Amino acid sequence: MKVSRLKQLILGELLRLHKYNVIFISVFIALVWGIILYFVNSNIFDVLLPLLILVDSTMMSFMYIGSVMFFEKKESTLSSILVTPVKNEEIVLSKIFANTLHNLLSTSLVIIAFVFIKQVELRYILIFFSIIVITSLFTGLGLLFSYYQKDFTTMLMNIMILAFLLLIPSALFAFGIISGKFWEYILLINPIQAAQELINGGFKEYEITWKYYFSLAYLLVGLITTYKYLIIPKFQKYAVSISGV
Amino acid sequence: MFKVENLEFKYTKNQSNVLNGLNFEIKEGEIFGFLGPSGAGKSTTQKIIIKILEDYKGKILYKDKDLKSYGNEFYEDIGVSFEMPVHFSKMTAMENINFFLKLYKNNEDIELLMKRLGLWEDRNKLVGEFSKGMKIRLNLVRALLNKPKMLFLDEPTNGLDPANAMIMKDIIREFKNNGGTVFITSHIMSDIDQLCDRVAFIVNGEIKEIDSPRNLKIRYGKRTVKVEYKEDNQIKSKEYPLTEISENRDFIDIIKSKDIETIHSGETTLEDIFIKVTGVNLDNES
Repeated sequence: MKVSRLKQLILGELLRLHKYNVIFISVFIALVWGIILYFVNSNIFDVLLPLLILVDSTMMSFMYIGSVMFFEKKESTLSSILVTPVKNEEIVLSKIFANTLHNLLSTSLVIIAFVFIKQVELRYILIFFSIIVITSLFTGLGLLFSYYQKDFTTMLMNIMILAFLLLIPSALFAFGIISGKFWEYILLINPIQAAQELINGGFKEYEITWKYYFSLAYLLVGLITTYKYLIIPKFQKYAVSISGV
Repeated sequence: MFKVENLEFKYTKNQSNVLNGLNFEIKEGEIFGFLGPSGAGKSTTQKIIIKILEDYKGKILYKDKDLKSYGNEFYEDIGVSFEMPVHFSKMTAMENINFFLKLYKNNEDIELLMKRLGLWEDRNKLVGEFSKGMKIRLNLVRALLNKPKMLFLDEPTNGLDPANAMIMKDIIREFKNNGGTVFITSHIMSDIDQLCDRVAFIVNGEIKEIDSPRNLKIRYGKRTVKVEYKEDNQIKSKEYPLTEISENRDFIDIIKSKDIETIHSGETTLEDIFIKVTGVNLDNES
């Protein structure tokens, strides 16, 4: 892997995220949610802020990378990148880095705003590290997901279904609708719940337990194995299938 | 430059082979035309030669070395111009080109190239605002930007007006004259005729013919001369065998005594050869 080429690809991805308004939309959505949070009472705020960061790092990054892949599919630009000296790993990594970076930007804006407005106390290194790990994993999963989607509308529908299936148990648990040790443990298998645990660990009032370390290891192992055994091996087949050479 | 031996390929979803033992060579410094009806295996062959598809049987040598032994540095050597536009539409032409330029070691003089193709003035325009012809010309800039040794061109003049098609063909000829090799597929037989040193016809994954356009035209044409002349206020025509034409008294008499309208040799066109070899009419293509 060549660092200068990877850097060039990341810069290209960031430029395209800007040109195709993905960065604008993500910052705009984060700000809208931020405004809504500003007006809710402190009890709901304490639950909603981590949930907002969770949704932004998981399903939103999933959707953003899906839209990027569809722009490329529509414009057949991947065909042109495939016939450069760039390696598949570099293409995939550049997409993960760029999407993580731009998502980190939008989420950070909300977090920093609430640090000043509502004096939220954070473990800064942990919260930003969590966002990076979670966004990287969900960007990777989004990439993998996009390989199998026929069109943008179908992809959005499927993301909605997936979000419903994955987010609902975590939301029910967060609001105390389902509770107890059984659910506490079993839900950690859900990557969304593991991500929630990681984000909670970024807030000072949250006590870090074994669940935090388990979630961190689970998501990191998930990221590496998904990248190595699914995203990269299936990328070439996907790229060939959409290339109209 | 490329030597293809017994090339076979089967897509995993298909039951039968797409390519059934192709054998051909692309010589260094030539323009090689690859022709055939849709589904004949042209794109698959090109995908294999440019290392996009890898699970093939047979052998492909590039510069006398197995193609499979090359890594991604292979792409420093080649340029590919796709049939469809392959640009980021919300970026300017220059932003598109600059992105790709930085991925290669060697860089072409983009200003000169874009000026020749009439795109320099519009370099800061979004590609989404380009006409189809402009996008196709930008494809050629993209293919040439790394100073490749070999060009792969898919329908390079499709969608271009005659003036721009001429410029495009001139650039392709110049590329060849400077030592470059070209692999070209096109349905525009006049382009193939004007540009190619040799052509191959592929049908159902097999090469049916491979030769220079001149030789093919002689081989598939009739060795005759057809003369049209005026006689009794009518246009009449006669056809004579080319063999020993200088001793054909009737032919010489007509040439000497009649008011000749046209004389045509029985040489055929590449379009006719395409139809004969492939059994497909070009109107049904593309």
